[in-house]
Amino acid sequence: MQYLKQFKIKFSDFVGQENARLALLLNLIEPACGGVLLAGKKGTGKSTLLKAFKEIVKALNMPFIELPMNSTEEAVLGGIDIEETIKTGERRFQKGLLSKADGGFLIIEDINLFPHDLLSIVFEVQSRGENIVEREGITLRESANFQILATMNPEEADFSSHFLDRFGMCVIMDNIIDKEKRKEIIRLNFSRELQIAEDISLIEKIIKSKEFIKKIKVIDEITEFISEVVLKEAVLSHRADIFLLYASKAYAAYFGDNFVKKKHVITVAPLVLNHRKKLLHQQPEYEPEHQFDNSQSSERNDEEQKNKNQTPSRIDEDHEHGKSQNTPSSEKEDVFPVGESYKIRKFFFRKDRTLRQSTGRRTKTKTKGRAGRYVRSLLHKRNDIAIDATVRAAAAFQKIRGMKDLLIIKEEDLRYKEKEKRMSHTVVFVVDGSGSMGVEQRMIQTKGAILSLLMDCYQKRDKVSMILFRKDRAETILPPTSSHELALKRLREIPTGGKTPLSAGLMEAYRLIRRMAIKEPESRFLILLITDGKANVSLTGKTVFDELRSICFMLSNLTSVDFIVIDTEKKNKFMKIDFAVKIAEWLQAKYFLIEELKSESLLGIVKTFKI
Amino acid sequence: MIFPFTAIVDQDEMKLALILNVIDPNIGGVLIMGEKGTAKSTAVRALADLLPEIDVVKGCRFNCAPEGPFCSDCIEKLNKNGSIEIEKKKMRVVELPLGVTEDRVVGTLDIEYAIKKGEKRFEPGILAEANRNFLYIDEVNLLEDHIVDLLLDSAAMGVNTVEREGISFIHPAKFILVGTMNPEEGELRPQLLDRFGLCVQVNSLTDKNLRIEVLKRKAEFDDNPEEFFKKWDSEQQILVRKIIKAKENLKNIKIDDSALSFVVDITCQLNLDGHRADIVMLKAARAFAAFNGKNGITQEDIKAVAPFTLRHRLKRLPFEDISQEVDKLNAILETI
Repeated sequence: MQYLKQFKIKFSDFVGQENARLALLLNLIEPACGGVLLAGKKGTGKSTLLKAFKEIVKALNMPFIELPMNSTEEAVLGGIDIEETIKTGERRFQKGLLSKADGGFLIIEDINLFPHDLLSIVFEVQSRGENIVEREGITLRESANFQILATMNPEEADFSSHFLDRFGMCVIMDNIIDKEKRKEIIRLNFSRELQIAEDISLIEKIIKSKEFIKKIKVIDEITEFISEVVLKEAVLSHRADIFLLYASKAYAAYFGDNFVKKKHVITVAPLVLNHRKKLLHQQPEYEPEHQFDNSQSSERNDEEQKNKNQTPSRIDEDHEHGKSQNTPSSEKEDVFPVGESYKIRKFFFRKDRTLRQSTGRRTKTKTKGRAGRYVRSLLHKRNDIAIDATVRAAAAFQKIRGMKDLLIIKEEDLRYKEKEKRMSHTVVFVVDGSGSMGVEQRMIQTKGAILSLLMDCYQKRDKVSMILFRKDRAETILPPTSSHELALKRLREIPTGGKTPLSAGLMEAYRLIRRMAIKEPESRFLILLITDGKANVSLTGKTVFDELRSICFMLSNLTSVDFIVIDTEKKNKFMKIDFAVKIAEWLQAKYFLIEELKSESLLGIVKTFKI
Repeated sequence: MIFPFTAIVDQDEMKLALILNVIDPNIGGVLIMGEKGTAKSTAVRALADLLPEIDVVKGCRFNCAPEGPFCSDCIEKLNKNGSIEIEKKKMRVVELPLGVTEDRVVGTLDIEYAIKKGEKRFEPGILAEANRNFLYIDEVNLLEDHIVDLLLDSAAMGVNTVEREGISFIHPAKFILVGTMNPEEGELRPQLLDRFGLCVQVNSLTDKNLRIEVLKRKAEFDDNPEEFFKKWDSEQQILVRKIIKAKENLKNIKIDDSALSFVVDITCQLNLDGHRADIVMLKAARAFAAFNGKNGITQEDIKAVAPFTLRHRLKRLPFEDISQEVDKLNAILETI
């Protein structure tokens, strides 16, 4: 039976990914290196490498603790040991995972899929180096010095830059293109003999380096050089300097140098700085070329070709008419290509009080089900018994109740868990497709923004829907769906041209949400209005201004709906209307100029991936 | 009574993909895509009848293999007695229902037991049952997101580590993932797609005679399942023997450089993520060669399995259509 042989690749046999291996080794030599984040697409060997590394860590008798995604907070921090408590009648604690990882490594696979709150706890403990638990009657202080080794696939979900900065190093594991190496990888996977022999020589080298590093000197010139390198790369965080210093030291130790040299710093700099760089120069504003370069389907190429053929003609026309195209004729229709996509800034929404069966990644909500983070215990009946609180409530009465060897628990002792979790929203895009949006290729950029927002919705697992308003009416071109594929198709097809019936668009959104709210009372909605605010068609006899005001009033009275207005009007021009600002005010919406949608945080890893 | 596997009309690609996984479980499962009523679930459930026996640690709740890796219980046993007993068990198809809760998947603390007896006991979940078996998820694209994350988590490591409610438990969780989905209902996340070794597309039969045959067999089965089963028994036995033989033959098949080069040539042209495609393609080709009683892998074997090893791994954005890329794949296979 060949099945389920424990397949082990030796760390030194691992093919390629030299940077990733180096980063891991440096962290083994010098704990102050601050951990490693391995970012890479699926199947690039992230987990396999960690498995191989595990053998080395174990040989050095250091802890290698995996943090599973199903961990509860008590398991991570430690808590009451029920068994012992009941047996002895005194409160006994058990160690949490973080204390177990003390002096070694904590492994977090797919870190970007973990609940945000759990990660906050982990990083907080890590920065303190001590695990302090203060929960209803428990006080614990345990040493917890560990380095985090994490993996993530940036396609799957966002990872907060704030957490990213905590990592000493970040390595992008890319595809190996070299055919010989690829063959070698397949061969390794088919090798049958169990690899029991350990990486003896490597382990000895690590042990030596760990001793040797204590003797290494860092002269002032090098410290200055490190600061220069960091500044040159436009990195703001001071963590960078510190991590770079330790990484250079570890590298010098690995090669048996008594002094840290500039070449050491230069070699390890990318590992430490890659994920901290800021976007130095902004992308040029409209690039009809979107970034699905080498990896696209022929069909898409054709389409792009078509669009490219279309756009020049469009530009020529602009030239013919001169630049003043403020009132394009309603006959003209264009289908603009989708512009460049980017990482979207974060939007925050308040928590509400509804209990839900929820899934998703956008906003916190209290949950009905068993999933979620245990926030506190309640007397009020819920799904999950909070054992810790129940035992504590019962403990005081045991003597009176005449306990022999079993805990006597009565109905009134029972405590339940209140849980919180993130939920997704139903996002309704209300898109302005009027002629004015086509001026100076605004629509290309607008579509790029919508694509970026769609990517964001995919990562937060939101449902999406799309309403287009132009000419004299609004229609729902995409009913609420979780198929982002379909949304992208519709986005490509959006035509531009005609007048601006803005109130019709908002009215359609109002009807859609009323319908959806009856079907799914637990849903939260987000209306994204994307317009240049040049409304010029009214549905009723009222003026456009009055009509919009009354519709906005109706909308803002809906419960569980949030609004974001994205203004596409060019603000540097002589003629600006700023009507979108007014609408945002009426809706009590968050208001952004289209240029402000880009995430201002650290350069997202996603960017370097060309996803 | 389940409809016999061999009695399913046509749908050869789906049947082959399932059989290859029985021959070499390391291929990593099958995703079956297709519209409603195309015998997807029938085929998966019928597979149970063809599954061979495997060696497991006697009395282990997690079907630990005699050579390891072991669960927390077996490790304790080993430390106590120094040895373990072995028994034979037939492989199973374990179903993961859609509305499943987190603790039912990974297992949890047996709360009632803890409160009544004052002892901690781990209550195994579906991942425990699925170890070394087929894990079948019907309508996998409708599975809740956090459950998908849990599956990915344990699939990556091949173990399920449980840290909840004061329970720390580790057991191997290496399952062969079989999923069915109807793409009209929504798509599947690329990362989960990639976990499926193979991906086949099933369509309704358009040939009139075949459709009549389907109807006939189904009616016959419904009338008298036992009789129908007897009728197909010899076919089933032939297939079972063929699979057992192929399993034995698997380790005698040589992997030569030309086969490796051929695989890498294909995958490099397609610019895929990671190396899973290369490895799975070769494993599937090897199982295919073994199934046909050969002792080496030819280019034809690789070409035969390429469509269903690569179909779902073709490069695309998280929300793009697969179908366009398939043409490109076919073009490459034509030219090579």
